[in-house]
Amino acid sequence: MVILREGICPGINEDFIKALQSEDIRTVEDFVSFNPEELAQKCSLSYKALVAVRRVLLAQCTAFPVSAADLYEELLSSTAILSTGSPSLDKLLDSGLYTGEITELIGSPGSGKTQVCFSVAVNMSHQLKQTVFYIDTRGGVCANRLLQMLQTSTPDMEEQMEALKKIKVFRVFDVFSLLACLQNLRSNGLQKASVGGGSVKALMVDSVSAVLSSMLGGKQNEGMSLMMQVAGEMKMIAKDFNIAVLVTNHVTKDGNGHLKAGLGQSWSHVPRTRVLLQRVENAETPSLRTATLTKSSRQACRLVEEFDLCHWSEERSTSISAKRKLESSKP
Amino acid sequence: MTARVRMAENGAQLVSRLEGRPSLRDIEPNIFPVDSGPRQGDVVEFHGMEGAGKTETLYHLIIRCIMPVQNGGLEVGVVFIDTDYHFDMLRLVSALEGRLAEDLKESDGSENEPEERVRSCLRRLSVVHCNSSVQLLLTLHYLENTFSSQPSVGLLVIDSISAFYWVDRFSGGESTVCQEANLRKCTELLDRLRRNYGIVVFATTHAIMRNYGSDPGVSDVPCSSSSSLLSSSHRWRSAESATDFDKPYLCRAWQRIVTHRMLFTKSPVSKDHKQVFSTACTSIMTKGVKRCSFHVMEDGIKFVCDK
Repeated sequence: MVILREGICPGINEDFIKALQSEDIRTVEDFVSFNPEELAQKCSLSYKALVAVRRVLLAQCTAFPVSAADLYEELLSSTAILSTGSPSLDKLLDSGLYTGEITELIGSPGSGKTQVCFSVAVNMSHQLKQTVFYIDTRGGVCANRLLQMLQTSTPDMEEQMEALKKIKVFRVFDVFSLLACLQNLRSNGLQKASVGGGSVKALMVDSVSAVLSSMLGGKQNEGMSLMMQVAGEMKMIAKDFNIAVLVTNHVTKDGNGHLKAGLGQSWSHVPRTRVLLQRVENAETPSLRTATLTKSSRQACRLVEEFDLCHWSEERSTSISAKRKLESSKP
Repeated sequence: MTARVRMAENGAQLVSRLEGRPSLRDIEPNIFPVDSGPRQGDVVEFHGMEGAGKTETLYHLIIRCIMPVQNGGLEVGVVFIDTDYHFDMLRLVSALEGRLAEDLKESDGSENEPEERVRSCLRRLSVVHCNSSVQLLLTLHYLENTFSSQPSVGLLVIDSISAFYWVDRFSGGESTVCQEANLRKCTELLDRLRRNYGIVVFATTHAIMRNYGSDPGVSDVPCSSSSSLLSSSHRWRSAESATDFDKPYLCRAWQRIVTHRMLFTKSPVSKDHKQVFSTACTSIMTKGVKRCSFHVMEDGIKFVCDK
């Protein structure tokens, strides 16, 4: 709802608004829905002014259509594929996390969702030298573990510290602060961070279900509404700032006993790519996991890769898929 | 209609209003019932769960629209409103490239660079992102201008029309009228656009409502007259499907303007690693259900012929 008020656009003054209010027109939506000709007669306002105001208001409030040719051009130059550092996972994701979209990791407790987030964060900050925003909703971020991971890749203390500095952690413990945090990031946080050298390319939310699942259930709409608002904020951040968003979610079982992502049907439409993490039963090494692609617009679904949480960057399978045009724009 | 006609219009608007819009009747005979492809002013709803192939099918249809006539396309301008922030340009382009390459093999007469050919197709498509129902409404108002000044634009795609359902439900407070106000206004406007300009509308809706207490035994024959006053849920009942998530939940105004409804399902088991997707299309013009199945491949969707 956009309220009509003075100063919203040139040509709108007190009398103008009063005249419209007499016809019970208070918002921009009401105003543009009316035919200017009828309105001019009813409110005795100038037709010319009404048409002009209508045009300016529409120009201010609408989203502009962009030619797909331009959009494609822009995408080719701006899309980056961020390697996760794990060859197996990269293969599954068609060479890494794509900027501009939401990727979801799902898995039961202990399946390694948070560990994968850590590894990806460390890889991005250390190897790719990118700032990572990490929103922690479960108090699960452990700086020692991050450092430990860095120590395996470099012995240089300075480098380790440099990498740690690039991981910015936000702690939020309820959905309202999560929403506020995302809104804040969108309105100023991301620009500020990119001014300070090194653009932000990744945002992680671990986990969305921890703050959202308690809001759902019953006959209330509030929880659903909040969930979709959180989803909307993340989508806008991903698209407008060209950022790869990685979220984690829990799993539930459907009627046939198959694992599926938590948070219900409405949420299921939100991420563009989804990876299911599972423990390998009876494996010699307890850190062995399988990753299954359950949703993707680029790869065939149901692809399965194995990887080891403890030996993140080691290759377990043979080949890495080569990628078409975008390869050149990889950071 | 009357309100529109009384307004002054310039030559271009008059021509675009009077001269017929490009026809989309033959857009995809595999999906739509025989002799019941989308005519001017039809509204097609694509309904299905996540990952059931709705967006993929939209890409397929968009590509058919934006490809040049000599490549088997329709050369129709398309406006794509992305409310889910889901539009995957790279996916669309790779499917488009696949289709263009297919034709090139057959004709191999064109000397144009493939990149340039892709670009000239993409110029017929424009994309808008909307992040709230208010913005969607205002954007539709804004687009009215586009439709009236560009006679080549024949298709409006909204992916998805149900994106703001929950947010609107909550912000509308207790009354259903307020909850549905924005969508109702959008629908009224869409109704006007399709009537005045003959625009075809494709819109997706997420299947998020479970169909509690439905009795699948009842199978009403869809009514042949479009002015049917039967409740919408009954109108579509004959397209009974494997999923119980096919309950229409958007406002009545929307249910009333829909002329075709397409239900998407995917098979639970994937034998030989190929997932089979299927659609069931019902329309208010013809009786019966048109079913079709397809695979999703690297370069777009491939129909399974034997059905």
